[in-house]
Amino acid sequence: MKREAISSLLARRAFLRKIGRAATCAGAIAATGAAGALGVTKKVAAKSESTSRRGSFPTKDYDWTKRQWAFGVDANKCIGCLRCVEACKRENDVPGDAHHFNTWVERYVYLEGDKRARVDSHHDPVNIAASGSEREYRFANRYQDAKVEKAFFVPKLCNQCTHPPCVQVCPTGATYKAVDGVVLIDQKYCIGCQYCVQACPYGARWFNARKGVSQKCYWCYHRITKGLQPACVEACPVGARIFGDRNDPQSPISLFIRNNRVQVLRPETGNAPNVFYVGIDKEVS
Amino acid sequence: MPKHIVRLIILLVASAAIALIAKWFFTVESFYEYGHYRADSVPEIAAQEAVYKTARYCQSCHSERHAQWSANNHKSVTCETCHGAAQGHPEKGKLPIPADTVKLCTLCHEAMPGRPGTQPQIQVAQHSGGQQCKVCHNPHAPKIAAAAVRVTGDAAAGRQRAAACASCHGAEGISPNDTWPNLAGQSAAYLARILAAYKSGDQKDVVMTPLAQPLSDGDIRNLAAYYASLTCRTVPSTTRIGDAATGKALAKNCASCHGDTGIASNPAWPHLAGQKVGYLVNVLKAFRGGLRKDPMMAAVVRGLSDADIENLAAYYAAQSCQPVTEARKTP
Repeated sequence: MKREAISSLLARRAFLRKIGRAATCAGAIAATGAAGALGVTKKVAAKSESTSRRGSFPTKDYDWTKRQWAFGVDANKCIGCLRCVEACKRENDVPGDAHHFNTWVERYVYLEGDKRARVDSHHDPVNIAASGSEREYRFANRYQDAKVEKAFFVPKLCNQCTHPPCVQVCPTGATYKAVDGVVLIDQKYCIGCQYCVQACPYGARWFNARKGVSQKCYWCYHRITKGLQPACVEACPVGARIFGDRNDPQSPISLFIRNNRVQVLRPETGNAPNVFYVGIDKEVS
Repeated sequence: MPKHIVRLIILLVASAAIALIAKWFFTVESFYEYGHYRADSVPEIAAQEAVYKTARYCQSCHSERHAQWSANNHKSVTCETCHGAAQGHPEKGKLPIPADTVKLCTLCHEAMPGRPGTQPQIQVAQHSGGQQCKVCHNPHAPKIAAAAVRVTGDAAAGRQRAAACASCHGAEGISPNDTWPNLAGQSAAYLARILAAYKSGDQKDVVMTPLAQPLSDGDIRNLAAYYASLTCRTVPSTTRIGDAATGKALAKNCASCHGDTGIASNPAWPHLAGQKVGYLVNVLKAFRGGLRKDPMMAAVVRGLSDADIENLAAYYAAQSCQPVTEARKTP
């Protein structure tokens, strides 16, 4: 999609949103009048008060208004060892089989004469056979005797979009964009309708049938709010994954974005992802 | 106003009121606090316990290991990448020490299209012949240390000192006897290391120990430089033992240090090509029996039978000791 088309799309969204707000306001005024006697006003007042009632949120050591998280992927460094996938699974209690994962690594291989890349990931049957188990992750050396023109690995994860389509479609408010930029899932409010799984253009979400909820990468929110790095960043032996706070100009991610020519996946969707890539081909999306 | 319209209005107002009351009743306190979601869910998510504890957590008890690891090449590979997540450790038991290091190490180090050139990679089949990586490499300090690799000495001074050695090792460093090693063309760093070991008593030999003890450090350097400067020569062995072809297959396990044909890639390790059969057999047996002490060699020879040792010796003795230029160039 061209840039003009995106901007008109965004303008239309903004206009509809305004109309929606106006209607809500009118309704609210009417409702206040009608239900004043029931003491609803008191409750509404109490709710609007509570925003300022809390000091540091969500925890006492972590204030989400001070952070703006972002993630970087340097595909030039990735060696496809899949330690990130392993770490993520353990950290976030993801089912161990090869077909459920928050993060994954894709291998792009162009053989001589091929116009399109061959893409595989750890859940490809050949790779499962090479590791010998669905619970161990390894790339098979399947192209060692082929004439490889070009090959590279691309780690993938949730892009924590600035305009997340998954949040837009959620009917219950179970998924939302946190103030610090991470898209979170409230597992108590998720009804398992899987609209969000359909809406994500990156295939980052998956359905946990055991728990009956959607799940995805959330940049290890429980770690980053404690001052730790996400598990995949911690585990990566070559520094292909970079994480940090964009509000801090000296953070690893700010330096990464400043010192490299970065790109995002599927910019044409207007989602404005917050995972920045270096060293990938146009074919990666 | 007609009655049915009034009823309709009452019904609508009542439904709206019920809807509003229901919403007020069912919406939890923190919903809408920051947006169309339950604000309390954020601290709930943030409260999960971290499973991976980072290397700093490990350091508090394993400080010695941590110091070694953090000073070496694998410092970018955190403890938990190989040993698993530390949650519950030490209360709930030990963390695993990976047993199958071939499987583990090749995850990163198997030569594979797509891996960047800066990543150290091996051809798994040729590198070790299926031997476990940790036989030669310490996972916490994986680079095999090249001890003193540069030895500078005065070859001319060494020549005079070497007169005493000639009766056994030959005037030109080519031994006349199958049980004594050729020295000509051997790497100086290796010669100096072994002589120093005889001198200090770390290595013992009935003949060599008394000869090496009076040598000064300078003498050792000069002797090493002298013998290294001589041209080696492969003398066809008179002893007929072992099968070189069988030995060649076994020698794959030795190739990463001693080279494919016995020309060592690193000056700290001896060249084996063209060496005496009897000497090689004796030395390998000495390593196996613990008479000669070297942690790496001890681990490598542990599984060798007498026949294996003879085959290996036959293979190396049959190789040309003249370094092929290509062989020297490979890193």
